[in-house]
Amino acid sequence: MNPSSATAPNTNEYAGDEISAIVLDPGYSSTRAGFAGEDIPKSVIPSYYGIAPTASGSSQYLFGENSIHNPLPNLEIKNPWSSDGIVEDWDTATKLWEYAITSRLTGQRPTDPTKNGLNDGTNGEGNGQMDVDMDGLDDAEKPLAESPLLMTEPGLSSAKAREKYIEIAMEDWGTPAFYLGKTGVLAAFASGKASGIVIDIGASTTTVTPIVDGLVLKKGVQKSPLAGNYMSNQLRLIFAQSQPPVPLTPHFMVASKSPVDAGAPAQAIYKKFEVPPTASFRRFEEERVLTEFKESVVETWTGPNRLSVPGTEESLKNAPGRPFEMPDGYNQLFSAERFKVAEGLFDASSALHDPDNPRPKDEQTIPRMVQAAIHHIDVDLRPIILGNVIITGGASLTYRIMDRINAELSQMFPAPRIRLIAPGNTIERKYAAWIGGSILASLGSFHQLWISKKEYEEHGPSIIDKRIK
Amino acid sequence: MATRRDIQDIIGLPGGGDTPAPKKRAKTAGPQKKLHGVNREVAALYGERPPPVAVYEEKKTYRAKRANLGPVRPWIQQPFTNPARTDGLVLKHWRRKPTARPNIENGGDTAMEDADNQSPQLETDYEYARFNVDVSVPSYTDEEYEAHLRSNEWSREETDYLLELAKDFYLRWPVIHDRYEFQSAKAEPADDAASAGDSILENPTDALSTLPYNSSLPRDPRSIEDLKARYYFVWETTLKLHRPPEAMESSEFELLEVLHSYNPDSEHVRKRIALALMSRPLDEVKEEEFLLAELQRINIAANRLDAERAELRERLEAPTPQRDLGPAGPLGNFQSSQALTALFQQLFQQDRSKKRASGSGRLSLSAGDIIGTPTAAQQAAYNAAAGSRKASMAHPPPPQPQLRALSAAEERRYGVSNHDRLTSGVSFGSDKLVKMRQAKSGVQTQKIAAVLAQLGFGDIITIPTARVGAAFEGLVAKVGKLLDLRKVREKEENEVKVLDGMRAKRAGEDPAATGSAPPQHGRDSTETQERDMKQEERDESLMEQSIADSTVGAETTYAEDGEGGDDAEGEEDDAEGEEDADGETNATSTRQVSEAVSTRAATTPAASVKAGHKRSASVLSAGSTRSRASTKRARK
Ligand SMILES: Nc1ncnc2c1ncn2[C@@H]1O[C@H](COP(=O)(O)OP(=O)(O)OP(=O)(O)O)[C@@H](O)[C@H]1O
Ligand SMILES: [Mg+2]
Repeated sequence: MNPSSATAPNTNEYAGDEISAIVLDPGYSSTRAGFAGEDIPKSVIPSYYGIAPTASGSSQYLFGENSIHNPLPNLEIKNPWSSDGIVEDWDTATKLWEYAITSRLTGQRPTDPTKNGLNDGTNGEGNGQMDVDMDGLDDAEKPLAESPLLMTEPGLSSAKAREKYIEIAMEDWGTPAFYLGKTGVLAAFASGKASGIVIDIGASTTTVTPIVDGLVLKKGVQKSPLAGNYMSNQLRLIFAQSQPPVPLTPHFMVASKSPVDAGAPAQAIYKKFEVPPTASFRRFEEERVLTEFKESVVETWTGPNRLSVPGTEESLKNAPGRPFEMPDGYNQLFSAERFKVAEGLFDASSALHDPDNPRPKDEQTIPRMVQAAIHHIDVDLRPIILGNVIITGGASLTYRIMDRINAELSQMFPAPRIRLIAPGNTIERKYAAWIGGSILASLGSFHQLWISKKEYEEHGPSIIDKRIK
Repeated sequence: MATRRDIQDIIGLPGGGDTPAPKKRAKTAGPQKKLHGVNREVAALYGERPPPVAVYEEKKTYRAKRANLGPVRPWIQQPFTNPARTDGLVLKHWRRKPTARPNIENGGDTAMEDADNQSPQLETDYEYARFNVDVSVPSYTDEEYEAHLRSNEWSREETDYLLELAKDFYLRWPVIHDRYEFQSAKAEPADDAASAGDSILENPTDALSTLPYNSSLPRDPRSIEDLKARYYFVWETTLKLHRPPEAMESSEFELLEVLHSYNPDSEHVRKRIALALMSRPLDEVKEEEFLLAELQRINIAANRLDAERAELRERLEAPTPQRDLGPAGPLGNFQSSQALTALFQQLFQQDRSKKRASGSGRLSLSAGDIIGTPTAAQQAAYNAAAGSRKASMAHPPPPQPQLRALSAAEERRYGVSNHDRLTSGVSFGSDKLVKMRQAKSGVQTQKIAAVLAQLGFGDIITIPTARVGAAFEGLVAKVGKLLDLRKVREKEENEVKVLDGMRAKRAGEDPAATGSAPPQHGRDSTETQERDMKQEERDESLMEQSIADSTVGAETTYAEDGEGGDDAEGEEDDAEGEEDADGETNATSTRQVSEAVSTRAATTPAASVKAGHKRSASVLSAGSTRSRASTKRARK
């Protein structure tokens, strides 16, 4: 048989065997879901959700990119995750994740239309509300009755959280088989590595996970809040502290704008709202602007010295700046400021702080976390581990952060060569854990590892600790 | 290894100043090229960074025309069970719908439809189940444990726990150690063991206490080595219990040995040393890298120098003009350099065309290739010249089928000798021997003769073979040294005498002593003379001994020759060898020696660096091989 698009690839080549499993990788900033065996997650939704009161007095949940950016009156934007990267609001998280799965992948089960909540007040595709009453469904009608589910969990999750995951998957979604993979391990798999140290710079947390033969060395896992959200907060501080302060106006407030000179006050016509949008909504929208700023202006300082070394910052003043225009037309050339944002990830002493944003601890910086993680690793393994430093997470896309990590680590571990591994592709960097899960769940030899419904029924949720160590 | 700096030097660019420019250009080129689907102006806004949204360009690629594979064969969701599982989980994967054979035979589409309606068969032999490998860990009964495995440091529960973890984590010790969380009241014995281990390793501990993070954490109650040691002990013991070592197969026994030889203490020491090696400061690592680079540079320079020197030597030893033929001979035309070049070109062309056939290098130009040298004598002369040239070059001669390499023993047996350069004409071995007896001054010559006579050497040595000549040469050299020594001693003694005289004179100021001084002196001198004599005797006996040694050597070689059976032939060969050697040989050899010395002088720093480096490198590699070996062992 000659290979063409009509023939399936030879599964023996990669030991693949797809069983239509679903991979779900929930994170603080976005939730990724898709079918195992695919290259990228088909369904990526923000982990923030909207909650708005309805006329009847109950509250309505809004999920998905298309429904939460609308400035509805009294719309609150929330996140089921706590700011330290642990799921807090399990009920909403369950709904959110279910939305991620059902909106694009499995579709709604043909359940009683009055029960599934889809028909009250939907205004367009993707604006589903998942106010689903689960008790009324029996197994065959549950959203995942046909698909095994692989979920990811952060490196340091408690036994309770793990039991909760399997409970949701088995009881709420009725999945026939379940598996829980650690984001670190999966990200390493996505880079084709079974041993190494994964530095995942996400939104809420930066996690450093040492991995040996696909197993996490638990004692070595390090976690810190210095990640994407921290960088956003640094930006807010920088904007507030600069002279004059840089106004941060989100898109939804601007009706029209006209060009102004750099640094001049914005000349824009602002929208009028009968009920002003809530603070949480505004903050969420500001975050979008900040992310844009991080993507296009922020750069990691790569030396020769750290920024905190006296004189270094002054020399930056005349460095060429990068322009940025706010949604209201205010624009400015940012030079020294853009280097300060990520500096705290490497040097806690140069982090900006105020009462709301306390100075980070020295142990929370990336170099110190790697050092602490490496300390737990057997000497014989260190050369292998240091030769496979895998970098993932959305915030690792910060410009030139790789160079800085490389410099810091090489300084700290001169002897065995440091080798950084990071997918160059934006998508692969952001979704590394999902991609690793997709690879894993489509391997023929993996299918013996699933926890089946039968096992769950026999042993209860505690099986997760027995089976997946 | 032409670095950028080298190239800059060659082109004459100033180094250093323009470093960043090419680097930057190279960097920006990458991502910009990738952005095909975006407007150039838009792409320029991003600068060097990747766009936040990945841009994929839908490229039209060539697709093979869909082959006609016959009728559509449907796919089905085939349920299957995995024999590697115990719970009978049924999963579904996409498979081609099986076309049942009887259907084809019946040729009925109706049968196909029947198959459509059937629910697919459950597949039970899952191909990937074979990847389900399990480790087997040693097991023991209660009695066995009580009898053989009891330990003060390990309780039964903890041993069981260890074995369970080992099974769970497939003997991946770093992971087992990481997950090891045995809680027990008995923590003290382990601590004792740990401190005992520490006292053994006092020195490394001291050296390591300066490390940034070593001191911060308390020592593990159970180190990886402790776990391994216990596990290996249990394994070894159970292995022995199940089958006595005498009855084991060799592989089993080897395993036993490996298990037995595991030594946690030495592993510990090794790891500490490895750690110290890894935590060297940046300077040291840089220095090592620098030295490595330097070594490489020196090696390359030395090689180049050698090559250049060899080439030079080759040029210096161009074929000697054939004197015998004279200007009128056929080669007379080739005396100007242009003519020679033309000849060379010609020869080279011919040689090239023949090379494929003969398969050897340029030096394989055989006499037959030379136009106008038809006589056998000339051929032989040319061959000899070519041969000598070859030998004088550093490279091994190109393989020639007619030459057989002789071993040292064979050479001795057949009396073959190699010479750097042979000159024409006949010379006799005995001449050489005679020459050796002669020194620069007549007095010295006489003295040598006297010593030789004293040793019982006649004027004529009967069979002056090459080896006898060599032995004699050594002897004469020793005699020369002896004479030198004597001279020095005489000088010293004279000085002593003079000094004695001065002392006597000073003593002589005492009037009574004046008369007695000379006799005293005389006595002294006789004494010294006597001492002299004795010394001489001793020297001579030494000499004799050494000569005896060398003659014995010579005799044995004769004997060997005799054994070889062809005495006469061997001698003939020797004679030939002698014949060719004359004064020039000496000249060449001295030149070569001096060259060699100068080469050595030039390469000494390199050599010393190399030696020094080699040492450190070997330490390193020893460490790493050892660690590798141990990990291998651990895996086992
Ligand atoms: N190009 C970029 N440059 C800088 N930061 C970026 C870029 N793209 C995304 N980010 C930041 O990365 C973060 C999102 O990363 P990621 O999707 O890995 O987080 P997550 O997995 O959802 O969160 P967590 O791992 O903390 O649960 C956000 O804070 C976002 O602002
Ligand atoms: Mg993440």
